[in-house]
Amino acid sequence: MPEKPDCNVSELLAVLIAREVKDWEMCACGALSQIPAAGLLLAEATHAPHVQFIIRSSREFDQVGYDMHFLAQRGQMDLFFVSGIQIDAEGNFNLHVIGNADAPDVRMPGAYGTAMLYYTAKRIIIFRTEHTRRTFVEKVDFISGSLKTPEKVKRHTQSVKVITPMAIMDYDWAAGRFRLGSVHPWHTVQEVQDNTAFDLGAPPQAPATPAPTVEELRTLRTVVRERMIDTGTYPVFAREGLQPA
Amino acid sequence: MIQAGSLGIPYAPVIGLAGTDLYRRRDDVTITPNPFDPEEHTVVVRALNPDVAIFHATKVDRSGNALLRWHPDNEDLQVARASRRVIVTAEEVVDQVSPYDSGGVFLPTINVTAVVHAPGGAHPTGVNGYYELDREHVLEYQRCSVSDELFRSFLDKYVFGVTEEEYAHRYGRAPVKV
Repeated sequence: MPEKPDCNVSELLAVLIAREVKDWEMCACGALSQIPAAGLLLAEATHAPHVQFIIRSSREFDQVGYDMHFLAQRGQMDLFFVSGIQIDAEGNFNLHVIGNADAPDVRMPGAYGTAMLYYTAKRIIIFRTEHTRRTFVEKVDFISGSLKTPEKVKRHTQSVKVITPMAIMDYDWAAGRFRLGSVHPWHTVQEVQDNTAFDLGAPPQAPATPAPTVEELRTLRTVVRERMIDTGTYPVFAREGLQPA
Repeated sequence: MIQAGSLGIPYAPVIGLAGTDLYRRRDDVTITPNPFDPEEHTVVVRALNPDVAIFHATKVDRSGNALLRWHPDNEDLQVARASRRVIVTAEEVVDQVSPYDSGGVFLPTINVTAVVHAPGGAHPTGVNGYYELDREHVLEYQRCSVSDELFRSFLDKYVFGVTEEEYAHRYGRAPVKV
């Protein structure tokens, strides 16, 4: 089995996210999204020089306010990033509470805009820095965002993908569940299933995710790191989370 | 929904939310057919009209015009329009605030019930061009928010236990030079 490349979880996810970004697309990421922000800038620095993006809380890339939501409502947002404290088999994510909503064990900041963008962006990437059974649960404690669409209600979402430190999962609309897409080459299908509380319906052999290349990591740690610092885009994360080249 | 409230309409359609526990647990959101196209259904949310809104402005004039913080969405304007009463506190009272003033968002007097001269009124948060956020005070607030007992001691120290003058003297921030 190949060795895990010499990079941290943030760098790994940023590289895998960058590969999903297509040239000329309109993309955006919301609050606390330093990893997608790095991924978008890496895509721009490599294969997607014409990508447009909105990065919330960035000094340079957040000038539009509500326009981001209205653009998405008109069906013009190609790619948006979400995360959650819990993510379940049916594509629900939880950003609100752990436990009973009326007497929660843990109460989190919550979200509304995410439940809107989960409907309006054409493609969704769910990113999560840990792949554990407490995160990937059969059923979330609270549904902050859902892929169940009532009859006759308009939805722009076309595809949903989860990217974790172990694997990539794709949402199967016909089955209404996540399926294993690819496994990072330093992990096995069995390890991914053991760390996921819902059935991945995985074949014994799943395709291997191509590992981050030396060139991808070098660009991330030089061009992207500097650009994040220079543009006021999560500069502390860039300085501390992306390793110096 | 504050946008609907600001327009004086009873509800507004939105895209999203359906299928979530947010939708399930609230009684101000539902699904209804589009009256122009019965084949389409939309989520609709009820208008919000707050009884009172309070804003802190940089400048107000005696007619009740105000210059609010700059924000790309002018969302303060929507809240002001939607609210039944609007109180504006301000760093400065000037002769005239006009829609052509730079550095902020103009709130016309037609949406304002009362203005109050309250320099330092945003403390412990900051006002751009006047004073910075008081980081230590915010952290103390955060530390005291974990229990009712601590929070009561915070209120006794900063709210009930001091007069307005004492508060300004003890905790008021030195003006930022611009």
